[in-house]
Amino acid sequence: MSVLRPLDRLPGLNTATILLVGTEDALLQQLADSMLKADCTSELKVHLARSLPLPCSVNRPRIDLIVFVVNLHSKHSLQSVEESLCHLDAAFFLGKVAFLATGAGRDSHCSIHRNTVVKLAHTYRSPLLFCDLEIEDFRAAMAQRLVRLLQICAGHVPGVSALNLLSLLRGSENPSPEDL
Amino acid sequence: METQSEEQAVTKPADSGGEGGPPQVAGAQAVRPEDRMTLLLRLRAQTKQQLLEYKSMVDAHEEKTPEQIMQEKQIEAKIEELENEVEEAKTAFEIKKLALDRMQLSTALRKHLEKVDIKTSVLMNNMKQILNLNKLIMKSQQETWDLEEKLLDVRKKRLQLKQASERKLSEIQTEKNKQKDDLDSMENSDKIKTIQQKLETEIQITTVIQHVFQETLQISFLKR
Repeated sequence: MSVLRPLDRLPGLNTATILLVGTEDALLQQLADSMLKADCTSELKVHLARSLPLPCSVNRPRIDLIVFVVNLHSKHSLQSVEESLCHLDAAFFLGKVAFLATGAGRDSHCSIHRNTVVKLAHTYRSPLLFCDLEIEDFRAAMAQRLVRLLQICAGHVPGVSALNLLSLLRGSENPSPEDL
Repeated sequence: METQSEEQAVTKPADSGGEGGPPQVAGAQAVRPEDRMTLLLRLRAQTKQQLLEYKSMVDAHEEKTPEQIMQEKQIEAKIEELENEVEEAKTAFEIKKLALDRMQLSTALRKHLEKVDIKTSVLMNNMKQILNLNKLIMKSQQETWDLEEKLLDVRKKRLQLKQASERKLSEIQTEKNKQKDDLDSMENSDKIKTIQQKLETEIQITTVIQHVFQETLQISFLKR
């Protein structure tokens, strides 16, 4: 069982790699396309996966950011994400992991409560982003945001590190999800 | 239990030379070295940042992580403690940076002032202007304060006048009431009753005397 470690490989020159993990293939593909269309000075590599662990046979570059996409309409996606989280090295959670919850717009179809993902993100001390990936404009905006996040996590922005960003993002979150 | 999952990779080539991807004109040879320079500088900054991150990870791993299994609550508390430490380190760093910047700024300013002729420098003009404005501000603030004091005095006097007039009016009222009371009491007093009785007796005596005189006059008329 291979555990994904954040720094076990050397970074490629001017390259940033993001791994999108989620059960919704179509949404992931669309998000990947939006990200590649976004403006970025570094070379972007987007890897998609349904779940971890990743097959060892593939020669892949150092992964800078992992985004777990949870679809609020299906409990299966949340389960698969939770199972995948075990295959990550703890060092990843120092800013290189983010959760993305989609489908919050259509409240009637939501089978997972919003608080569940909030608690999940809080347990793993990672930022939680909300976006309706089915809507083009929101997807493009989220893709842009993810590209910026990726650049910081890959070390392409001098002066800001992933951990720094994590504490910055934490400051603007709602305080104490224990109140929920 | 291993679940082999599929993986797909999608890539995008970097914009040539960096920002914005301007169209490569064949004749613009001068543009290429510029772009290369910026690319190199950017790569340098990137590599520096990545090196910093790796170094800090190495330092972090040298610290012993606690191996014992802690309870969930303890873990939560420990995590929050560490997070607070990170925040404190960040703020301390920011403050130190500010202090350093301030020191650098003041030395640069001092050097600049030493170099430049004091009478004509723009900086001195600015500072003189600032001083003048400050004086004006202080003067007008003082004036405002004085005016407010005057206003306050006038208001106080008005209040005092009002209170005095209130008192006078209430005094008048009490006087009137006293008079009315006196009048009422007078009607029921005993003195008046005795006077009334005496008056009645006097009236009776006078009527008797009147009758007597009338009789004598009638008798004298009859005797003629």
